Amino acid sequence: MYSILKSWLTAGRLTVPASELALSEATVVRLEQLEALSKSYRKALSRSVMIRHLDAGSCNAEEAELLALANPVYDMSRFGLEITASPRHADILTVSGPVALQLLPAIKQTYDAMPEPKLVVAVGDGACYGTPYDTTYACLGPIDKFLPVSVYIGGDPPSPSDILAGLIECQKQLSSLN
Amino acid sequence: MKTKATPQTTQDLLAIFNDFFGDDLHSAEVVNPSEIHLLVDETMFYEGAAFIHSNLLFKSTFITLVATDERRLNNQFNLHGVFLLKAQKVVVTLITGLDGENPSYKALTPLIPAAEWLERELHDLFGIEAEGVDLKPLVLHRGWPKAHPYVMHKDVAKDTPIELTDTDHEFGFTSPASAHQVAVGPIHAGIIEPGHLRFCVTGERIHHFDAQLFYTHKGIEKMAEGKTIYEGLTLAEHVCGLCAFSHSLAYSQAVESLCQITPSERTQAIRRLLLEMERLANHFADLTAICSAGGFGFASARAAYFRESIMQLNKHLTGHRFLRDFNTLGGLKSDLQAATLDMAFETLDKLKSPYRQWVEMLYNKDSFLDRVEGAGLLGKQQALDLGIVGPSARGSGVVEDLRHDYPQGMGQPNYPTFSVPSQTDGDVRARMQVRIDEVYESLMLIRQTLSTMAQDGVDPAAPTKPLKPNPETPGIGLVESAKGGLLHWLVLEASAPVPTINRWHVRSASYMNWRGMAAATMGNNIVPDGPLVNKSFNLCYACSDR
Repeated sequence: MYSILKSWLTAGRLTVPASELALSEATVVRLEQLEALSKSYRKALSRSVMIRHLDAGSCNAEEAELLALANPVYDMSRFGLEITASPRHADILTVSGPVALQLLPAIKQTYDAMPEPKLVVAVGDGACYGTPYDTTYACLGPIDKFLPVSVYIGGDPPSPSDILAGLIECQKQLSSLN
Repeated sequence: MKTKATPQTTQDLLAIFNDFFGDDLHSAEVVNPSEIHLLVDETMFYEGAAFIHSNLLFKSTFITLVATDERRLNNQFNLHGVFLLKAQKVVVTLITGLDGENPSYKALTPLIPAAEWLERELHDLFGIEAEGVDLKPLVLHRGWPKAHPYVMHKDVAKDTPIELTDTDHEFGFTSPASAHQVAVGPIHAGIIEPGHLRFCVTGERIHHFDAQLFYTHKGIEKMAEGKTIYEGLTLAEHVCGLCAFSHSLAYSQAVESLCQITPSERTQAIRRLLLEMERLANHFADLTAICSAGGFGFASARAAYFRESIMQLNKHLTGHRFLRDFNTLGGLKSDLQAATLDMAFETLDKLKSPYRQWVEMLYNKDSFLDRVEGAGLLGKQQALDLGIVGPSARGSGVVEDLRHDYPQGMGQPNYPTFSVPSQTDGDVRARMQVRIDEVYESLMLIRQTLSTMAQDGVDPAAPTKPLKPNPETPGIGLVESAKGGLLHWLVLEASAPVPTINRWHVRSASYMNWRGMAAATMGNNIVPDGPLVNKSFNLCYACSDR
């Protein structure tokens, strides 16, 4: 135990510096959505926020990358971003995957359970555009058919640094509008 | 005492089947050096399955049940039962025709409990009645209209709208008045996929556990029908993100066996390499999850770092963290340069010593061992009955691994030798230990593959040569993914310029293991062990729901 601690304490920094988190081209922030919010709401959302994740029918890759945000390399909590267990405590709802029919009632309930102010961030091509899936009896397409989406972080799946950079960009835009 | 000699070749097997079925065997053919198709009378389907499943000379494993809608052709549904005979390394498919108006047959579940979900799914999606099993809905939730269309029928359009009427959850048990129910999901507290789990408890003790899954059912099998084989490959890689490469490999093997393509030696070697890379990433993720559910944060963070190094290496090797969009039909999209491979070799070599220290740390931590030892027991017989696959089966003493038992399933009959790690305790620690040992085996296999890499290029054979699919014959790909054996089953249709998909069936590892997880959770555990047991199986919802 001592040797392991020693070797890891001397291993140096593992975390990616904030300056190296580049915004991916597939990220789109819809300014009109952010402008529609009141000034105090924008201020609240541009500071430390709680995130609730919602899998609307994804292939599990987006979930793996979101989980990686908590590992020592990406360490999202240094930016004041935290995952919360309940939508009741959440400011931001991240959604992945195309909307699956049998999950739709739960998706609506989750969004309704979130207090204002709230934002929806679509993570991955499935949630943003519904690709590569077609619509079927059980696959209803991208999430913006059902919920108002403010930020689209495309990618198949977007890497943890793409997701992190997208969330930080959204907050930057919010504070620059004020 | 006279003992019967074990039949070895497909010809021996054909003789045995001819003998057993007699006049009820309509046709028997060897379609591939290691696949046998038996077309039998509907009345003999159950008897045939019983014969194959219980004959000790075969060491048979039940793989799947697939139906196809052939009503336009001859007004019947075809039912295929797929078995792997491990003693002969042969896949036997038992095929029978069912009536097009009222399809029904004698259920296999009483004989092969592993078939239960598949028979319920056949009822939900095809309306095929398995007589002798409780056909409560599995895929379809309670809100589906009473007179819903059977969505997998060929005459039902892909995007037929379905109106859900009721969204309550119905469960297969009634709790005593004094028992408390803990409902979890479908939206979970952590970042995991949706599913509704319900624990029936008195105090801390779990009496009963049941799960409502298939929330993320997207109808991928239906979606693929009519698409080209290349579009199908993209869908196959999106059935499940974590096992994307295994799915890709199983799908491409199914197409390659139908189109009689043999990929180059170098393609084979790189595919083996990437399959092990995916296994490493998944095993590190599973170990992260077990440590975190066991309350050992430090170990969990370290394992998460191991996983991240593998993901970054994957990105460096193939340009994709989940190894998507690299494998193609008959070959690979690009070759790996010698310098890249050397770098991979070095990175993995450097991982070994910290990993060994990490394992030592786990076993020095009594408070952690106290959590994992004896929790979530799954007995060997239970695992065999439920058809559990992968590390979960090997943790319960079922020594099965498709890389060892049927490497033909991934198109590599001469797979290098390796040892199949297994444990007999059947608890969380056993499943964890199997993964710990498999990491060493994977590192060994990668090292061996890298040192004996052939140099004959990886250009895909498919785009240059015309494909010759045989429409009536299904193609099979069987791959050992990190979570266990998975199957892709494919029937193509000849069309220009490339063949299209007529019917595609995916049976993933998680699909088989969910019931094992439920059984293990019910095995004398307390509520806080629920997540730990869950994580020791670490099942995927996406590839089970499809």
